[in-house]
Amino acid sequence: MAEINLIQNIGVSGFIFCALLLILPFMVSYYFKLGIIKKSVIIVSRMSFQLFLTGLLLTVVFDINNPLINVLWVFVMLFFATYTILEGTDFKTGPFLPTMLILFSIANILVLFYFTGFIIKLDDIFEARYLIPIAGMLMGNSLRANIVALNDFYQDVKNNEQRYLYRLCVGASKKEALFPYMQRSMLSSLKPTLANMATMGIVFLPGMMTGQILGGVDPILAIKYQITIMVAIFVTTVLGVLICVIVVVEKGFDDYDLMVEDIKKV
Amino acid sequence: MYMGKNIIEYRDLSIIHSHQKVLENFNLIIKEGEKVLIRGKSGTGKSTLFLCLLGLMRPSKGDVYFKDLPVNGNSVSVVRTKIAYVPQDVDVGRDSVNEFFDTIFSYNAVGFTPDFEKIQRLLEWFELDDSILKKEFKSLSGGEKQRIILILSLLLERNVFLLDEPTSSLDSSLKSKVVDYFVNDPSLTVVVISHDPQWEREGLRVVDIPNK
Repeated sequence: MAEINLIQNIGVSGFIFCALLLILPFMVSYYFKLGIIKKSVIIVSRMSFQLFLTGLLLTVVFDINNPLINVLWVFVMLFFATYTILEGTDFKTGPFLPTMLILFSIANILVLFYFTGFIIKLDDIFEARYLIPIAGMLMGNSLRANIVALNDFYQDVKNNEQRYLYRLCVGASKKEALFPYMQRSMLSSLKPTLANMATMGIVFLPGMMTGQILGGVDPILAIKYQITIMVAIFVTTVLGVLICVIVVVEKGFDDYDLMVEDIKKV
Repeated sequence: MYMGKNIIEYRDLSIIHSHQKVLENFNLIIKEGEKVLIRGKSGTGKSTLFLCLLGLMRPSKGDVYFKDLPVNGNSVSVVRTKIAYVPQDVDVGRDSVNEFFDTIFSYNAVGFTPDFEKIQRLLEWFELDDSILKKEFKSLSGGEKQRIILILSLLLERNVFLLDEPTSSLDSSLKSKVVDYFVNDPSLTVVVISHDPQWEREGLRVVDIPNK
């Protein structure tokens, strides 16, 4: 536990100084009439409250460290991640949520336990201190790509519907006719993740690594974690994007293989 | 008179599109080997007859049969593989003509790749140069596009043709040539929508779609 004590505590005065920093964006907002002062106060407060609550809960969960509770916690995270993804898309949340939740859970949990079991070789693969933050990183970092995949894919078919329908007429199966669209949306949603990996360590020090270094961890150990987590994030992202595309292919088209309109938000 | 099997049948077909009646209680039977010219002002629903048969549009009422098989969710994918459809406009993205052909013939249900000689023969027949295969489809003229789509429809080796204004951008000698080809082959069942007078000839049954 000696390592953890190395971190400098942030006290009440620290928070006051932190809040003072917000004056700068407020001034910018005031001058340019951005109208985000009230909004940012609300959002920063909300964030603080959420994180504070999470901090409290995590303290308890880490303390108890019961495998069942830890896995349950991961499922709650999965539910919110899936919900957030769907809310960010043009699709109605309701009809997609159950299928997506099941598929995302399978993909994330597989990668998660592979990571704790085979990569960092924990004695207890359910260890809360590892399981929960890593699950959070996997889900959080693949979220955007999933939203992009869902939106782009359906919109691309919609924009080029003539092409899709002609292919069907010639005799393509739905999957054959949609294949180029699937390729395109996967590529465009994975591009940021790839770009992110390409600049890692040069342009910026990623959050986890920074955290570990601040926590007193040897930088070499920190990069080992960073490398493996980035690969795990990439794999989770690919699986997530694949799931999104498959779900749209299955649910977005009717028995005539025509696009279903009423799956979109009104 | 030659009485073949029913190939296409529209039974009490009604189509309402964006709150407007496009077709009402339309009935038509097309027998094997028949050549049918469908005429009517624009907006009378000529093209929608094709779309309903291909399952690209659901009729509001009534049924469509292909070889006595009702067109529905179970049959539509099979029906699509039996028909050579030439739409007015085809979008193939940024593919070259060659890539476009390759894509179409990569589909499982299409099931074969045409000989290059056959493609060459058809290009020659349609008065096109081989070099067109390397060109981007999008960059072709209207008449060239139309001929490529016609060539593709012939390469598919299907017996039922739905042609939607297939000759509108061709010059008149080529128009007659295309009409000859489709009308003179007794094994083909051909339904054509066209305003070209070349199609109005003996042996062709004319169906007028009434104005609403």
